[in-house]
Amino acid sequence: MNDYKNMPDEQLVQLSLNNQDYFYYLMKRYEIKLLRYIKRLTTVSPEEAKDIIQEIFIKVYRNLNGFNPKLKFSSWIYRIAHNEIINQYRKTKLCSSIISLNIEDESNLIDAINDSIEIDGAYENLETAERVRKAIAKLPDKYREILVLRYLEDKSYEEISDILRKPPGTVATQINRAKASFKKIAWRHQLDKEIIK
Amino acid sequence: MPDISKDILGKIKKKKLRPYPKQYFFLKRSVIWVVFSLSIFFGSIACAITLFQLRYAQWDLYKHLTHSLTEFVLLVIPFFWLTFLLGFTWLAYYYFRRTERGYQYTAIWVVLLSITLSIIIGGFLYSTGLSEKLEFAFQENLPFYKELQESKQKVWMSPEHGLLAGKIIKIISDQKMEIKDLKGSIWVIDIADSIWRGRLRPVKNLKIKILGKMLGQNQFKADEIRPWKRRRGSGKKKYLQRTEKKMKEKIPSNCISK
Repeated sequence: MNDYKNMPDEQLVQLSLNNQDYFYYLMKRYEIKLLRYIKRLTTVSPEEAKDIIQEIFIKVYRNLNGFNPKLKFSSWIYRIAHNEIINQYRKTKLCSSIISLNIEDESNLIDAINDSIEIDGAYENLETAERVRKAIAKLPDKYREILVLRYLEDKSYEEISDILRKPPGTVATQINRAKASFKKIAWRHQLDKEIIK
Repeated sequence: MPDISKDILGKIKKKKLRPYPKQYFFLKRSVIWVVFSLSIFFGSIACAITLFQLRYAQWDLYKHLTHSLTEFVLLVIPFFWLTFLLGFTWLAYYYFRRTERGYQYTAIWVVLLSITLSIIIGGFLYSTGLSEKLEFAFQENLPFYKELQESKQKVWMSPEHGLLAGKIIKIISDQKMEIKDLKGSIWVIDIADSIWRGRLRPVKNLKIKILGKMLGQNQFKADEIRPWKRRRGSGKKKYLQRTEKKMKEKIPSNCISK
């Protein structure tokens, strides 16, 4: 098992093509990350999240031969996850107006975008955190998902470009717009007095 | 906590799922590139015919239609083929975005690339004469297309602006003839000082377009007589040069196109 822990994704992909059992290690590597990603973008219950992740991993497995080694495997699997979440959204409208970011997520997000939009970290009290959560939830989907990828999933612009299949320049523009949009909504939610300098 | 990955692996095994073969992805990628290439090719054909129509548009009619720029624009701009060019450009963009790395390029870049390729290939097709052949083939085989192109000729029914078209019904002398215009009226045409474009000669039942001056009720003086349809493969450049030279020699300068 330890051998597989240090093995690059791409090598595990090759091994999985010959032996299904190796795919287990790939799944294990991304299970938690993808479950968290699903929760960050949707309002699904843990059971529904499990169903979605099952769909994602089955799609990944079936499409292993289509993986382009020029891409990072993590970008590729996030792309499949992203598409599956969108598909599920279309089927069941599972993204409601309130997303399920937890307090830690929110603080990470605020911390991360703090520099450029001058929001400080004074969101410790729950009332403020709730307003932050509502502000994030009010962001259009495309801004919310890009902020989640950039600041919570810690993806580079290049990786986000590969995941969302958008030109890197567009990704950069959308991140800036998402931050500006967040700031505007935060002001409307009277976060200005508490967290925006 | 249950091991989700283990459960999923169990399902994969139970359902005997296997990865899609490499050929499947190769085929998928190939189809995308083929459709992209076809879109560029058809866009090029649209571009080639656009070039052909623009090249042989009756630009010199502008001075006869100065009061209606819209009419002139509708007459010379090949909207039909430009619409096709835009349609195929969009299709090319749609499929290019679906190629493996196509998403990395902005829409404007892909659209410009697609149009540039269409213009280059279209220019080549035009130079081979394919656009001319297609234009005639479409006019012969597609009634709606023929009608569309002929509707542009309605501009020739404005004798007060020096434009008249119709069919020769009687050769009175070598200086006069009678035509029946597109609306069925009979006109007496003075052809004494007129030039006949190309190899046209006054023949009964020949459909012609006349540039000249209205003299009075159903009387018209012809300066230049053109065929109703350009003859296929009629030597393009030489044909135009020859006609221009003749026009300069024989007709007043205000009738020569610049």
